[in-house]
Amino acid sequence: MTGIPASSVRRTRPGQRRVAAALAAVSMVVVAACAGQSSATDGDQTFSVGIPTFFVQNLTPGSSGSSYVDYAIWSPLTRVDGQSGKLEMLVAESIESTDNVNWTVKLKSGWTFHDGSPVTAQSFADSWNATALGANALTGNASMAILAGYAAMNPPKGKPAAKELSGVKVVDDSTLTVTLAEPNALLPYILSATAFAPLPSGATKDLKKFGTHPIGNGPFKTSGWDTGAQDIKLERYDGYAGTKATAAEVDLHVYQQTGAIYTDFQAGTIDLALLDGADLSKAKKDTPEQVVDVQYPAVVYLSFPLYDSRFANPQLRTAISMAIDREAIVKSLLAGNAKTATGLAPPTLTGGGEAKCDGCAYDPQQAKAALQAAGGWNGPMTLYTYQDPTNEKVLQAIANQLRTNLGIEKVTFEAQPIAQLYEGFAGKSIKGPSLLYSGSPYPHIYAMADQMFSTGAPLNVTGYDSKSFAGSLARAASSKDPNSTTTFAKQAADQALADLPVAPLYWPLGGLVHSDKLSGVVPEVLGGARLSVVKAG
Amino acid sequence: MTGYVIRRLVGMVPVVLGTTLLIFAAVYALPGDPIKALAGPGRVLSPSVEDALRERFHLDQPLWSQYGHYLGGLVRGDLGIDLQGQEVSALVARAWPYTLQLGLTAWAIMAVVGISLGTFAGMRQGGTVDWVVLTGTTVVVGVPYFVVAYVAQILLGVNLGWFPTSGVREGWPASYLLPAAVLALFGIPELVRLTRASIIENRYADYVDTAIAKGLPHRMIVVRHILRNSLVPVVSVLGLSLGYMVSGTVLIEGIFNIPGLGYVVFNGISQQNGPVVVGVCSLLVLVYLMINLLVDIVYGLLDPRISLAGRR
Repeated sequence: MTGIPASSVRRTRPGQRRVAAALAAVSMVVVAACAGQSSATDGDQTFSVGIPTFFVQNLTPGSSGSSYVDYAIWSPLTRVDGQSGKLEMLVAESIESTDNVNWTVKLKSGWTFHDGSPVTAQSFADSWNATALGANALTGNASMAILAGYAAMNPPKGKPAAKELSGVKVVDDSTLTVTLAEPNALLPYILSATAFAPLPSGATKDLKKFGTHPIGNGPFKTSGWDTGAQDIKLERYDGYAGTKATAAEVDLHVYQQTGAIYTDFQAGTIDLALLDGADLSKAKKDTPEQVVDVQYPAVVYLSFPLYDSRFANPQLRTAISMAIDREAIVKSLLAGNAKTATGLAPPTLTGGGEAKCDGCAYDPQQAKAALQAAGGWNGPMTLYTYQDPTNEKVLQAIANQLRTNLGIEKVTFEAQPIAQLYEGFAGKSIKGPSLLYSGSPYPHIYAMADQMFSTGAPLNVTGYDSKSFAGSLARAASSKDPNSTTTFAKQAADQALADLPVAPLYWPLGGLVHSDKLSGVVPEVLGGARLSVVKAG
Repeated sequence: MTGYVIRRLVGMVPVVLGTTLLIFAAVYALPGDPIKALAGPGRVLSPSVEDALRERFHLDQPLWSQYGHYLGGLVRGDLGIDLQGQEVSALVARAWPYTLQLGLTAWAIMAVVGISLGTFAGMRQGGTVDWVVLTGTTVVVGVPYFVVAYVAQILLGVNLGWFPTSGVREGWPASYLLPAAVLALFGIPELVRLTRASIIENRYADYVDTAIAKGLPHRMIVVRHILRNSLVPVVSVLGLSLGYMVSGTVLIEGIFNIPGLGYVVFNGISQQNGPVVVGVCSLLVLVYLMINLLVDIVYGLLDPRISLAGRR
């Protein structure tokens, strides 16, 4: 079932039309097929991409998740290259600050929305204000918290005192001044997320409709779709002020279950898809030369409930971390679709890659010694994760390794719905190590360290609270030059890895599988393909 | 007859009300917080957005009050809005045609294949055809749904290229044949066996002997006399399985990527999207009840001896 060679995959294409042709759809299908072939000149290339439904649920910047469809429709102020990891200015001409608190953003001229209206400083202010307004209920609301005035708009109780961010001021059409709530040297990186893309005027009148009928400023435009639509057409926006898209048209095929995506790819219905897990392994076996590796900006880790006194001893945490054979999990359970974590963030993130992490190594001898030094473990231990087939498999392996390597007899595991699990962390009712995933909102180790270890941060589920960590991170945020920002952020991450509130396990990998008619398939920064540079035919 | 239909329709009201309340309570009782789940894995909503959403969907109120809001909307013909801000009625209106096409296609395949196979087997009781059909249906019953679906997809869709592998891009019938056939496959065994048993029972009835003695052609005897009289129990199963075909598509729609009601319900449940689940499920209950009523009416037409007026 799996060993289908590339050639036979391609050959089935005309055959697929057989039934359709026999059954009354003759004229339409044939005409469409002929039209597609004859006009496949350099100027009007088209290709099709298989995507999961949630990519197109809501494309309002404030609700977007920086998927590669988001990047096709939207162009934020900056972009981070998916291959080099380098920061480039996109709509911004410059983003400058002398104190990392007060920033001046200058825009390039000539950028327009898909309806032809100009992208101005006001467009960005409108977008950020709309997202920061709690009543709009945009899911990216929290990402505006770095801007001054967010707190006044989002009080813990009662009506907001302000309707606009006091920290965002429009000076003229091409100049914006931004004041941050706290110094942050990484603002140019943060602004590369589609959550910070601009909104055309009038968009806020009907944000609900705008989510599926977006008027963006990216390399591709769309006339919109209904929720549940399976076919979404993106067309090249010829008025795009950046590097124009190569293909004239991209057909998005929307899937409710990702399992059908690879089957359709095999049948030749779609040209490009992002895969992971078993489908990726299959693709690597069937058509290895048509798979492009994608390093997700994420880490899978085991968190320890520091609020539970049994896990307060760092020696015990070291024992558990060193008893886990990461190599075996990656090789046999994940079929190589991950890299063993030798630090906090994967190497594609600025400041990521191998780091000083003594507890990240597999050493059953030392693990046992550490357990003894910690005074042993009494009674049963429960491991937690959220419901996900891969996670449950990995957690089972970890439970076995803890039994074998540490001699803890009763290790059980429990998979909960994800929302319930995070509620459990908030209520401190999760009394065991948990297998979790942390994805970076922008490709810098600072982002990862901040969201996982800062006191009160949304993904700090362990209750970790370290002055030394916070000190290094604050120094990173207020550094004047980018290199020292990275150095201090790495220092902060090293401190966290020494304290080991979490044990990093592996950095997950995905793969872009593409048909042989496509070339130039390169990853977008947060996973997926950079659609605007893909060449078809 | 009219009086009977009206009585049945009025009787449906408490049934529908009861089921909506039950489904509503079940969704309400699911663990976890639907609003928190909206953010997606590894992301968190800010408190102000959570509050805004809770207020919008009355989630800050107790169950009875939420249900009251829902019923109030229902009376005004408003199925409510889902957690993504979509109108449930629009969602259902978009999904219905897909499910209906899939369900009816599957049902037609099932009826034609099931009744013909059953008749063949019944008329040749104990013969090779009979044996093959009986063994075949046993095998089908034993294989899980999704195995057949995936094998069909890979074999007929990918390798042979006879059918599109998924989606509804090529419209009816091309896109629906494969999923409908898989869906039908699982209703066929019961139908075959029932038809077969019924045929065998009627084959040796006196009126059949009479028909044979009259010298009627064999074809006419089978179709007009044996089959028609054997269909009464078959029709009730056919009717109920129409309801099953329409509602039991969650898995098939998922595997074949068909954006119908099954998909809407599946998403609704996984996101704890109360309005969606209650809306769609109530609708399915209504379909079931209507089909039941239809079946009872058809009964009377097939066999005049069954009087509807007498079934008080």
